[in-house]
Formats: sequence, structure tokens, C-alpha cells
Amino acid sequence: MNAPLRIGVLKLADSAPVIMAQQKGIFAHHGLETEIIVSPSWANIADGLAWNRLDAAVVFAPLAMMTALGHRGHGAELRPLARISRGGNTIMLRGINPASGVWQAGSHGRNAFDIWRNAIGRKPRIAIVHMYSTHLLILRRFLKMIDVDMENEVTLSVMPPADMIHALAENAIDGGCVGPPWGTEAEQLGLAFQVGGSATVLPGHLEKVLVASRKLLACEQKVSRMSLAVQEALSFCQKPTHHEEITQALAAPITDGGLLLPPASTRTILPGGEARECVTFSEGTLLPSDLDWIISDMTALEWIGEVEQQMLKRWSGPIPAASSPV
Amino acid sequence: MNEEKKSSGTRLRVLVADENPRRGHALSETLHADASLDVLTVPPDKALIDAVRDYGPDVVLVDLDRADRDALDSIRALSCSALERPVALFVDEDDVDLMETAFDTGVCSYNVLEALPRDVKPLLRAAIALYARFRRTRDELTEAQIALAERRLIEQAKRSFMKNEKANEAQAYRWLQRRAMQTSRRIAVVAEEYLAAQKKDEAS
Repeated sequence: MNAPLRIGVLKLADSAPVIMAQQKGIFAHHGLETEIIVSPSWANIADGLAWNRLDAAVVFAPLAMMTALGHRGHGAELRPLARISRGGNTIMLRGINPASGVWQAGSHGRNAFDIWRNAIGRKPRIAIVHMYSTHLLILRRFLKMIDVDMENEVTLSVMPPADMIHALAENAIDGGCVGPPWGTEAEQLGLAFQVGGSATVLPGHLEKVLVASRKLLACEQKVSRMSLAVQEALSFCQKPTHHEEITQALAAPITDGGLLLPPASTRTILPGGEARECVTFSEGTLLPSDLDWIISDMTALEWIGEVEQQMLKRWSGPIPAASSPV
Repeated sequence: MNEEKKSSGTRLRVLVADENPRRGHALSETLHADASLDVLTVPPDKALIDAVRDYGPDVVLVDLDRADRDALDSIRALSCSALERPVALFVDEDDVDLMETAFDTGVCSYNVLEALPRDVKPLLRAAIALYARFRRTRDELTEAQIALAERRLIEQAKRSFMKNEKANEAQAYRWLQRRAMQTSRRIAVVAEEYLAAQKKDEAS
């Protein structure tokens, strides 16, 4: 008898395809016995993949890449099985927006930033959810776009999304770049306003991928079944007619297979929702263009070198790949 | 330089970061027994990263259930973290068993980069042993609860059978037992099914 495949997720709306595949029996229909593990931190996801506690996980590509390359101290055999989502990240600041709506590139954004910084009266403290996240890359690009130097003009900190809501309310942080639905939730609670995000900086950028670890990768049949199941779940989650069902499923308690997400904000950020920044569940092959910007930004930040760049470029292409994993 | 840190000399400063106060206390007590250790704990409302920054530990034993562990991942990469001595996840590539056991048990260790594995491993082992003991207690508790619930189901099914079939208790139990044997399932499962079927009959 086989143990069920353990799939790690965090409490985020872009975990929806895996949650729905589990709840609607899509995994089971494809002959897979699966178990969803809701993790408290990204570090747990990375370590789970590296030390045989997770067979797969929904994770942002930079962390999966850094884990695979051994930058957490132990090289891990990992490979993406599917693209899960595009976009959905929001850059939120507390206080009053000196501009109307999102900030424009160049001097418009720079001016807005200066007025806002003077109003809060200190070097802005901006939170991200993990160092090796798309959120950091998107935030860095956004600040560059409005001529603000991330290294010197803001103080970065790392905290879980749910803590960010609390930290904004307590003025412990002045803003953050965070995944769905937490930015919209902060806005709905009146704690922050949105100045930018995925759609402003890099529309349709690759956000989450489903990554498989060594044990699962060794079984070609399971890899191929899981890839097919996830494609089916992505197609289900992308349909606006399924919004309500997905919202309810994600709002359910963890013991009932949900993620305990706030339903009002979750409803608005699903594909085609009313929020400015919606998530897109994107079927199909992981494209070289999905990874190029991530690899190039990671290189610019000196996280990876030339050889590692070439290794990571092999992550795109048809799934499941016949070749052996990186 | 911080004089206090220097003067502590060869004593190893260990920070215990456990969300479970009872377990955290037990682990601290265990470590206190070793006179070469300075044992500190993270206060309930303090973020892990702030505690690491303020206390400057050599080793941090971290409960994997802590959501703020992600902040420790960033110390080396964030130039602004302003930590004098950066810490990183402790990894022993040659001891895969220890590493897998640690993650399975729910604890890991972060260390200042100059800490030696021979100093760290006994601490991690002590934490693993304690975490495992706590988990066992919890599992035993869960098992006891399951056993109790099953016994209740069987009692209920017996009573229902006695009423429906005008049977006595021994007959009712024998019937359940026989059915369990015939279908090679546990008696509690049979009892549950019997009760569900009764309920359906009542509803129709």
C-alpha cells in the first residue's frame, strides 16, 4: 500500500487549484491518493521538499529554485510539474494615498512616494513574505520604476501574510508586498491602500508553480497523472462560474479541507473578479519567458551565478519531461 | 563589541523558540541541566527575528509550527537585518537520518555560522527527543479518544439491535462480532454502519 502524496500549501488564494483538485476528487479521479498539508511558513515548504516531508508543493519559483540549488544548505532534487498562477501580488502602504489609485512610473510615483514618506515620518518599513519570493522581485521592480532605491530608501522585513495585517494595524510596518487575498483584505479593512502590484509591474508574470520532489519524480506514472489532474483543476478554477464554490472551499476550516481565507476579499481576487489585482490560473506548459525574468532578477541580486542560470533554464518545457530532473 | 557577549566566553548561548509554552519550558529545563549552556526563550509576543537580534544566540532551536521562521531565512540575504553574526539553518549533509528525523519531529536548528556541528548536534538531538515525547503523549491521547468513541458506537449499536430484534445484550454483541468477522472489518465500523442504516430506515 502506498502512502498518500503529500502536497504542501500556504494559506493563500493561489493554492485554489490544489485545494479544489482535492475537494472535487480530481486527484482521486486520476488515480492519485493525495493529502494537503497546510504549512505555517515558506521555510517549512522548502525544508519539506528538501527532507522528504513533502512530495509536492505550491510555491513561488524563486524559493523552489534556491532550494533545488542547495542555497538552504542541502541540494534537493526538484522539478516543476505545472504552472499554477500568474499575477495576484499587491503592494500595499498604510496611511493616505497622496495620488489617486496606483502610482505611475517615473516622477509621478517618486513624488507620491516622497509625500507619503514625509507623512509617515520615518524610513519606510516594507514587509515581504519571504526573501526568495516573487514578491521581493516585484517590489524591487516597482521601486525602481518610481526611482526609489530599495537598498537604501526602505527597510525590508519578512513576515507571514496574516501577521502583516496585524503589523499594519499596529504601525509596526508601513507597507508590504503580499499575495492574494491578503492585500485586498488589508484594503477592505481600511488598513492600507494599493500603489501597485503584479499588474502594474509585470502583467501576467509567473507566480506559483507546483513543484515535485525526489520521491514523486521517481514515479513517472504519478508525475504524469498529477500533471493532468492539475491542468484539469486549473481549468476549473479559471472559470468565473465557479467563483462562489471556490470562495466557500477556501474559506472552510483547515479540518474541512479549506484554508480559512476571508471570503469577501477572496471572492474579488479570483479570475475575472472586481479587484484591481486578480489572480489568473494558467493552464499549459511552463514557458521560457515565464522563468527568464526571474532568473535574470535573481542574477542581478547575486543570488545565483552563470552555471546555475543555465540549470534553471531547463525548468521550462513540456511536463512531464522525459529527461531526468535538475 | 558587546562586552557581555565576549565575557560569556565558551558558554554556548541557546535560544529556545517554541510556540508550545509547556514544551518550550520542558526543553529549557532539560538544557539548563548542562552548565555550559546559557538558555534563553522567546517571549510570547516577540518576533523570532527580533529575539535573535536582541539576544545574539549561538544556536536557535525552532519549533516548525512557528510562522515567523521565514524571517530567519532572510538574514544572510537582507543587508539591512543588522545582525552582527548571521545565522543559517543547520544542515548536516552527512547525517540525513538526523535531519529527516528533526523535520519529522517538528524541530530544527539555526546557528551562527561559526558554530560547530559537534556543539549543535547534541542540542538538536535533545530537542528531537523532547518533541517526540510530547508527540507520543498527544498521539496516546488521541488514540484513547478514538477508543472511547468506538466503544460508545458499539454500545449504541448494541442497544439499537436489542430493541429492534428483541435480543439480549450478549446476542447483540455476537451478531456484531459475527458480521465483523464475515466482512473482515472492525466491529466499530460494523456498529457505525448498523446505526447509519437504522437512521436511514427511520428517515424513509
